[in-house]
Amino acid sequence: MADSLTRAKQASHVLTAVLVVAGLIYAAVGAAMGDIFYLRLATEALIFGGLALSVDILLGYTGLLSLGQALYFGLGAYLSALVLMVVPSFWAAMAATAAASALLGLIGGIIANRVRGVYFALITFGMAQVAAKVVYNLRELGASDGLVGVPIVRINLGVFSISSGTPAAFFLFVLTFIVVLYAISAYLLDTPFGRLLIAVRANERRVPFLGYRTVTARLTAFVLAAMIAALSGALYPMLRGFVSPELLFFSTSGNAVITVVTGGTGTLVGALYGSVLLTVLRSIIGSYTEHHVIVIGLLFMGAVIFLPRGLMGVVRPAVERGLGKETGP
Amino acid sequence: MTAPVLEVRDLSVNFGGLRAVDAVSFAAERNCITTIIGPNGAGKSTLFNLISGSVRPRSGHVLIDGEDHTGAPPYRLQAAGLARSFQITNLFFDLPVFENLRLAAQILEPMTMAWRPAAASRVARARVEELLARFDLAGKAGYPAGKLSHGEQRRLEVAVALACKPKVLLLDEPTQGMSHGDTKDTATLIKSLANEVTVLLIEHDIGLVMSLSDRVIVMHQGQKLAEGTPAEVRSDPAVQTAYFGQA
Repeated sequence: MADSLTRAKQASHVLTAVLVVAGLIYAAVGAAMGDIFYLRLATEALIFGGLALSVDILLGYTGLLSLGQALYFGLGAYLSALVLMVVPSFWAAMAATAAASALLGLIGGIIANRVRGVYFALITFGMAQVAAKVVYNLRELGASDGLVGVPIVRINLGVFSISSGTPAAFFLFVLTFIVVLYAISAYLLDTPFGRLLIAVRANERRVPFLGYRTVTARLTAFVLAAMIAALSGALYPMLRGFVSPELLFFSTSGNAVITVVTGGTGTLVGALYGSVLLTVLRSIIGSYTEHHVIVIGLLFMGAVIFLPRGLMGVVRPAVERGLGKETGP
Repeated sequence: MTAPVLEVRDLSVNFGGLRAVDAVSFAAERNCITTIIGPNGAGKSTLFNLISGSVRPRSGHVLIDGEDHTGAPPYRLQAAGLARSFQITNLFFDLPVFENLRLAAQILEPMTMAWRPAAASRVARARVEELLARFDLAGKAGYPAGKLSHGEQRRLEVAVALACKPKVLLLDEPTQGMSHGDTKDTATLIKSLANEVTVLLIEHDIGLVMSLSDRVIVMHQGQKLAEGTPAEVRSDPAVQTAYFGQA
């Protein structure tokens, strides 16, 4: 029996596959035309999609609104930049990021999970602001200028290697990377552990009576989200060659939340589509007016009013119905 | 002599100046239905909250199979074999009926299953299918719990509590707000539960209490007023006074 949660997951997979196909076509066209700018832009959209993915795990599944996810995104970006400037190894940067984000995710999670609801949002916000101010004022980390001059890195994938300096190849690599993060998240959220997170969001008070400690579930989700945000952030200096304190600012965290809400909370794939959509809008509107933030804000308000379940809230049920017809009721 | 499956000794709690539960002691015999009755505000639900770990008692002890679990959090008590339903329906309303039960049955699986796809949890699935059939919810398995009728939600509430195969099942007014017919069906269901689990029941429907219970405990103003078989309790003058006032 395919229950509704399984079918929703399958629909998300289908939509991710569509995104991958679109990405492949995009990369082929971009490479054929010798484009750099748009491939870089799309790569950035995917990287911020990874950040939004982590927000969706917290907001859409566990019911925790993090307003400070940029803390972990920035952690990954800065750590990756620092590692790459010493040893230009992709895997060393990723390993360092994974370890540091697991540890700091645990510490941040223990602090933030002492409270719930709006207080959780405020604490995550506060922690990110503190980190941002520290980085902003720390000369060793380049202070307000950030770290510049991150070298181009060759990503050794065993049989072949990819240079972060080749726009099309690096775009495809990031696409793969983000889809793997999506796949890991989707897998985990379909396990009993993941279903427990959904239960925490649905009715946290009942969960202890089923034999589970909700704090443990929330903390695990927090660490997972921290790691996904950090691993996504670790790709940023490879793309841009620099990191700046803006990556840790509230605008980054806030944009991630807007991305998830626009894309559709609790769908995972909505985070990726939302990020692509917002990046496209930002660059189109940005080419007409410098006040594009106002327009994005208005569009966001419109989305919340008219598409309360986000883009995927409209698209995914249609895909689910399509899947239902194929496999029978 | 083996220890009773659930024993409560001198359990008390204060809410400000109000002594909501005052030195209540009783024992629930294995595979029996023990019913707690009493007027509104007598402390029945608070007693349940003390036993199930929702509220920490100020003094006294809760023993399950002779082991002290006083003041333990609900997830520990669940591990000790205690499950409860709620007077105010407390389900995962957004989630399908099937998933409500699957979540509750998941604890039957070993911990290693927590990281495998939920569909691989065969023990939990089998338990869910069994409960869906038994509680007549199979036709509604795919519905969100919030879309069920009140009677169905009350049934699901009991099924969710039962899913983990507890030793002791605390049912807080399972028939609350049910129609007469539904109440009768639920009574039959509860009666059948006593074969596998010890039931502690809070109930207002006196007819139901008399026909269902092996033992009845009467509470009044936080204290245990009387205890005995349904017939003994019915003829107790103190009980009559508490319910109907001084003659």
